[in-house]
Amino acid sequence: MWNEFILNPFTNVMLWIYDAIGHNFGVAIILFTILIRIVTWPLNASQLKSTKVMQDLQQDKAWQDIQKKYAKDREKLAQEQMRVYKERGINPFASCLPTVIQFPIIFGLYGSITHALSTTPLALLSLARSIYPFLNAAALIPLNSKFLWMDLGRPEGIPFPGDFTIGFLPHGFPTLAIIVAITTYLQTKVTMPPSASSPGGQSAAMGNMMSVYMPLLLGYFALNFASGLAVYFVTSNVLGVAQYAMMGRVNWRNLLPGGQQQPASGKKK
Amino acid sequence: MKRITLLSLIGVAALALSACGTPTNVSWPGLTADAETAYLANGSSVYAVRVSDGMKLWQYPEKSAGQVFLSNPVLTPDGQILVGSAGADNGIVSLDPATGRENWAAPLVANNRWVAAPLVVGETIYAVNNNGTLYAGELATGFILWTLPLDNSLWSAPTSNGKLVFVTSLDHTLYAVDPQARAVAWKTDLGGSAPGSPVVSSDGSTVYVGSFGKKVFAINAASGAIQWAADVQDWIWGAPVQDGDTLYAADISGRIYSLGTPHGKNAWPELQPDGAITGSPLVLPDGVLVATESGTVFAYDRTGTKLWDVNVGGQIYTTPVAAGDVILIAPMKAEFLLRGVSQDGKLLPWEFTGK
Repeated sequence: MWNEFILNPFTNVMLWIYDAIGHNFGVAIILFTILIRIVTWPLNASQLKSTKVMQDLQQDKAWQDIQKKYAKDREKLAQEQMRVYKERGINPFASCLPTVIQFPIIFGLYGSITHALSTTPLALLSLARSIYPFLNAAALIPLNSKFLWMDLGRPEGIPFPGDFTIGFLPHGFPTLAIIVAITTYLQTKVTMPPSASSPGGQSAAMGNMMSVYMPLLLGYFALNFASGLAVYFVTSNVLGVAQYAMMGRVNWRNLLPGGQQQPASGKKK
Repeated sequence: MKRITLLSLIGVAALALSACGTPTNVSWPGLTADAETAYLANGSSVYAVRVSDGMKLWQYPEKSAGQVFLSNPVLTPDGQILVGSAGADNGIVSLDPATGRENWAAPLVANNRWVAAPLVVGETIYAVNNNGTLYAGELATGFILWTLPLDNSLWSAPTSNGKLVFVTSLDHTLYAVDPQARAVAWKTDLGGSAPGSPVVSSDGSTVYVGSFGKKVFAINAASGAIQWAADVQDWIWGAPVQDGDTLYAADISGRIYSLGTPHGKNAWPELQPDGAITGSPLVLPDGVLVATESGTVFAYDRTGTKLWDVNVGGQIYTTPVAAGDVILIAPMKAEFLLRGVSQDGKLLPWEFTGK
């Protein structure tokens, strides 16, 4: 089911791009990530819009009064919150739904990259069987996994000079993992909405945790998994910031020291 | 509480991402044997198994260091077992067949996986790595003598006619390497990847090889000129096998071919038993045997008439190996790692499970 409807179609689209652009898998990953971002643009836009509505509600005085009034009665608080949602025509799950829908896409993209690179005999056999007839599979295999200084099928690292080694960096200096961590941090920070970046609130705490844990997590992935995934992470981060910027939601002030304490002045829709 | 929830979500996402990717280090059993002992590389271990009763004699390493074995072990003429690993160390080790202890002070290490078994010619090991490089090493110590970069991933054991070393590549090429000159003597386009080894004719004059280009080639060993190219119906994964004037080959749709070595014409009617064939056929005294992905072993006589078949179980990707009168089968996804079949198609009464 997963293979038929997600993994194999994704893999074949990526292989088609790879074939069309002259067998450069790194560029194919970047173009495929852009394609996925374009296809999921309406979902992202819908999510941003719903998130904005919920954030505005958090700032609403009536909403805050309800929080204070029923702070010790969770059942009553929930009832009052639902009443407000109903009165104002807000669906509290509207911001979650697009994210849920995107999960299979993100996992499918991830899976298709590792599937296409197939670095073991069993993986190659699986790939051979999943390539659609319109592609000349025999001509495509093996994929050219060289991109810039990287072998996209292996973790990235620039070898240390001489015989110098560091035990936990067996592949050398992890340039790409660092780029992944930095771009993930930047994306998390600049896409953090003003209300979430105001100090003291729960949203701020969540946002700050995300800006620490996500770069570490994705950096760890980039350090240990095929560098093709790291190329996807970097592309996706850059495109994520670009999409927020195009929708006027980028909060550049979050990058400045103490920037979280000031309201954002970015254009709002 | 929120912090725990967030960390849990990140953990779940990480697990999901890991689960969604194709596993990169799944084993592909490797098997070799002498008349009494089978040497099986499976998962993170190499096992020595007594063929007569399936008893484990030793296991290497005693504690896994994170390596995974994808290649066949090799028994060398001077009594070593060479096996290359993937995963943690990417090293070829030399083991004592009697005890499973390492012979060399240090393994022959590369920066990528060993998928192909090494070849031993005289006192030299020729081993090809997934990084596209041919390594020549000293048989006694594993010391690297010289290396020769070829091109793309190299997954099949090299072969030799005593003068040249032949290496197939996933980059659609058969390379002939001159070890004296440490250079490529010639190379020939195979029209598709070749994950199976080339086979040298008994007189050393011809190299036979199949490819994903849906062809089996006979190639002049001295010049690289194609003598004939036989069309087959699907990709050839395993190495063809020569039996006198016949070359047996099988494709991943499960068809079996009996090609005449002088011309490459198929002498058999279409034979397609029941599943993909990725291993090489095994020549028997009275015919030939193939093992399929469906877990079944089929034996045919030299006219293509079926002699017997037996379902062993699991999925068989590894070439069957003869150990005296016993045919050894190393499937995947079975409740056992190794089984024996008699030459008349009867399952032997033991199963080796790794314990």
